[in-house]
Amino acid sequence: MDSRTQPLQWPASGAEDFPELLRRRGILAPVHQADTAAPAGNFLPTESTTILAFKFADGVLVAGDRRATSGNTVVYDRADKVLEIDRHSIMAIAGVPATAWEMARVLEHSFQFFRRTQLQEMSIDGKVRALSKLLRDNLGFALQGIGVVVPIFATFDSKALPAARLYFYDAMGAQFEATDFAATGSGSPAVRGILYYENTWGEKPLQKLSRDEAVVVALRALDTASEADTATGGIDRHAKIFPVMKIVSADGITTLSEEKIAELFRERVA
Amino acid sequence: MIEEPYRWVEAIANRREYIEMQLASGSPIIALGYADGIVLLTVGRHKLFEIYDRIALGAIGHPGDIERLRMAAIELASTEGFTRAAADVSLRRLAYYSLSPVMKNAFEQIYGAPFLARLLFAEIGATPADDLFFRVEYDGAITVKQSKEEESPFAVLSGSQGSAEQMEEFLRKEHRTDEALSTALELALDAWTLGQSGATGTNEIPSREQLRELRRERLGNSIVEAAVLERQSRLAVRYRALNESDLAKLEQR
Repeated sequence: MDSRTQPLQWPASGAEDFPELLRRRGILAPVHQADTAAPAGNFLPTESTTILAFKFADGVLVAGDRRATSGNTVVYDRADKVLEIDRHSIMAIAGVPATAWEMARVLEHSFQFFRRTQLQEMSIDGKVRALSKLLRDNLGFALQGIGVVVPIFATFDSKALPAARLYFYDAMGAQFEATDFAATGSGSPAVRGILYYENTWGEKPLQKLSRDEAVVVALRALDTASEADTATGGIDRHAKIFPVMKIVSADGITTLSEEKIAELFRERVA
Repeated sequence: MIEEPYRWVEAIANRREYIEMQLASGSPIIALGYADGIVLLTVGRHKLFEIYDRIALGAIGHPGDIERLRMAAIELASTEGFTRAAADVSLRRLAYYSLSPVMKNAFEQIYGAPFLARLLFAEIGATPADDLFFRVEYDGAITVKQSKEEESPFAVLSGSQGSAEQMEEFLRKEHRTDEALSTALELALDAWTLGQSGATGTNEIPSREQLRELRRERLGNSIVEAAVLERQSRLAVRYRALNESDLAKLEQR
């Protein structure tokens, strides 16, 4: 029977993991076993790059360019790779959007499912681990080269020590907590170079930057990445397409308006 | 025994009486439309729950049964919302298609245990006319309250039929849809006081002043629990449990 038309499944399965619940009902594909066989033909998945995040005075700035590519074809130039998962968490994605957007959706629903069933917010460690588990479950596709996702996760810990927290992952699901900045995707080597330079020898360390200064650094970094990496959109001066930028702070998530970004770009980057 | 129809009817009647007795002491739950959405209020802990973005639940009954029904409702809404979209999660379907048949079945299988629970669901819509209130009984019976233009939307849940009717009569007279949250909370707590005192035997509905007096007595050191479903919100999740500071203004706590 089509899982979407099933009546109440009884008894309720109880406090289980949300992805597990989806699998049991046949909504989410079972964990794909590692299979290193190459995909059929010359299949080229759509991929997206480059994302970066760093801590600044108000919290964490997360930015991503807008390009999605398949091989050397530009598929889309307005892709959104910086996704809000809940009131205080952002997941930014580099890799295959088909997999990444599904992961973000599962993650968003997992956090809400936990809060609703357990009557408390999932802990930061629990959230970080949940994403790690999704990556781990995706390993089979990652090894086949058709579903690699390398995300960044930024959130605000309002519990014991109020502070912004920033994590990046590898394709297997290992999580690394970043002290200052993180960047993934094909344009990330250039971005990491710039962020390291700014943080060490710049006018002031990244964590001391004001909001406007942080936006300028992010714009310059993405522009530099797109200079050498064709998969990174950077800033489209002709069509006026700017990177997506969001800020995680104690007050939640703020999305920077395109006008504001364009203005800072004109004044201090272009 | 149940081959004989009248025995079955008798067993069902006994079972109904037993459940009603069990539920009689339940703390009433009030759901009222107010200027910015719907507010739910009761006295006690863990009686109001978030089911999905726009759906809230208030329940009276055995905590174990409430938990099973709550969990099933969340699972159903969550999988539906994941597969399609949050806007496709429908309270009507949840109540009629999913919960009611299961509860009816448990109630009528006289060798099994019925659900000792009475549920009140509220769903916030785009406009007050789209707001829905569903009461689901332990036997699967459903009462729908949909706001009509001439009627202000509210719904109550109580341990006994009599007290629920009294509360409804009171609210029909006193409730206005466009009140501020603080006013709606005061009214809801007055209605709760009335519902809780329903057993006093008098049919006369006391005045608001008399209810305030009674409230002090009835409330004692109990905890007021309240939540809202907000119509205009930047967030997809419209449910918000009210915290201490939201409730601090209530008189005579």
